Amino acid sequence: MSVFHHEYRAYTGRVTPLWTRPLVLARYGLAEVWSSKIATGLAILSLLPSIVFLVIIYLADNPIARAIIARDSNILTINEAFFLRVLETQCWLALVLAAWIAPRLISFDLADSALPIVLSHPISRFGYILGKFLALILSLSYITWIPCLALFLYQCYSSPQPWAAKHFSIGMGLFAGALLWITLLSLLGLAVSSWVKWRVVATGAIFAVVFVPAGIGGIASAILRTRWGLLLNMPVVMTEIWQRLLGAPAFGNPRLQLPSSAMAVVLVFAGLIFAAMLNARIRAREVVRG
Amino acid sequence: MGVIDLDRLVVQLGGRTVLDGLEGELRGQAIGLLGPNGAGKSTLINTLLGFHTPSSGGARVLGLDAKRERMSIRQSVGYMPENDSFIGNMNGVHFVRYMAELSGLPPAEALERAHEALFFVGLGEVRYRLISTYSLGMKQLIKLAQALAHGPRLLILDEPTNGLDPTARQRMIQLIKDIRKQGSTHLLISSHLLRDIDETCDEVLILNKGRVAAISNIEEERRSHRNFIELEMAGNTEGFTQKMRALGCECASFAGGRVKLVMTDELQVRDVYTAAAEFDAQIRRIQQRRDSLEDIFMRAVEYEGSRAEHVSLPS
Repeated sequence: MSVFHHEYRAYTGRVTPLWTRPLVLARYGLAEVWSSKIATGLAILSLLPSIVFLVIIYLADNPIARAIIARDSNILTINEAFFLRVLETQCWLALVLAAWIAPRLISFDLADSALPIVLSHPISRFGYILGKFLALILSLSYITWIPCLALFLYQCYSSPQPWAAKHFSIGMGLFAGALLWITLLSLLGLAVSSWVKWRVVATGAIFAVVFVPAGIGGIASAILRTRWGLLLNMPVVMTEIWQRLLGAPAFGNPRLQLPSSAMAVVLVFAGLIFAAMLNARIRAREVVRG
Repeated sequence: MGVIDLDRLVVQLGGRTVLDGLEGELRGQAIGLLGPNGAGKSTLINTLLGFHTPSSGGARVLGLDAKRERMSIRQSVGYMPENDSFIGNMNGVHFVRYMAELSGLPPAEALERAHEALFFVGLGEVRYRLISTYSLGMKQLIKLAQALAHGPRLLILDEPTNGLDPTARQRMIQLIKDIRKQGSTHLLISSHLLRDIDETCDEVLILNKGRVAAISNIEEERRSHRNFIELEMAGNTEGFTQKMRALGCECASFAGGRVKLVMTDELQVRDVYTAAAEFDAQIRRIQQRRDSLEDIFMRAVEYEGSRAEHVSLPS
């Protein structure tokens, strides 16, 4: 095969190892995601709150600014509660970005039935999902744990030394909390996108999966006068998890606090459902029963 | 070792037995896969690619087990599916390069091979256009290009001429012949069109109701039945047939001067004319007839319950 001679010739060159094939999918996935101007715009907008938080940290560590702005109030106090606000803000912005980019990763393949061709190459279904998952989690990292840890490191740098040593767990909590959320979001985004071919509908469906059960859970809690309905409320569950990971003070009615084990079970259960949805849908061939 | 070895292969899908004890060894350079709708052709291809798991028995592709070594098989195989299967928002080069990288080619080599494959199939001029804007024929060709780009040892083509106009079909057939001629790649071609298989393949596997109806070496069939001649004659046909029998031919006469001969390997058509001239018999029409693939196919499909067998000429 040659461009000039138009002849076929076999390939005899080097072949990359099998384990690198999901990385090919991740690389092409990232290229696809960031080819969208809307995705780029959303990512830039998602970093604006981080700039605001950066300014607050700067002012908090500046004695003159503190004297002028805060005087004796706690407005410029940098502690667990402050970083909980940072994490919450970035993570909910990640939901918006994920709802836009996750369908781009899967829907194009499904719309044109590309799976038989893609999976006829030496890559497994797990490798395919892993590649797409990596593309999504890397994209979401850019607006979640990376800016959160950057702010934390800046606070460690600009505050007196004892602060960093005393609040090291905040850094760990930021990383773990953000990673937990973007892992869940990535699975959710891929699972929903694999079932909905139309990208706009898939974007709406991702929001619906987060907020509709929250509403149902709220109604159930109100009618049955129980706290367990809150387990369906992903925003509440995640906020409580982040609060505990960062060691921030609890807020709201203490009787409505959810046990950590119950929240862990809910997250694992949700993850399994998303995995089952992907397993059912990401196939080269569908088998018609009967 | 054959290109494809089937060892009592059974595949059940959705509670139905789709492939029922397939057995045989296929060694041809270009293997045709024939059968009526629902015979199990696509299921067999999907099983060879590892998309379906055999319920019992097994299959080997290029000596690799279809159940345990599916990644190695996919590394060595290029697959062109029957239906539309591409990523519409990519351009031709981007798509073929992507598929080549998935097959293990490093990015630079994949890009080079993508350009070459697209020029080879005739899409060089449109390689930077979005695939979603391609015509049906171009979409078939881009599927072939991605199957070729990584230089597979076996190329599996599922209905390659599906939906093509006569010119595009001829172009596809010629491409398949070119690949076959090059010799480094085996071909497995599934098609409803006997003519496509007849033109491109040297061996054929015929499936019927999930079973092997026949495995036939087309070249051998052609060679073994090359001297089957039908004549329409006038004049002394009696003397002519006696002469031909004396020369060792099987001979049968019918009303209206029609004569059928099964020639021996030593005799040529020229000898027929010589014998006719000797007995003053006129040859009004002569047809040297071969056992066509259609004959082989029809016999195999009509004969239900048969297992792998080599189909022979009708007497």
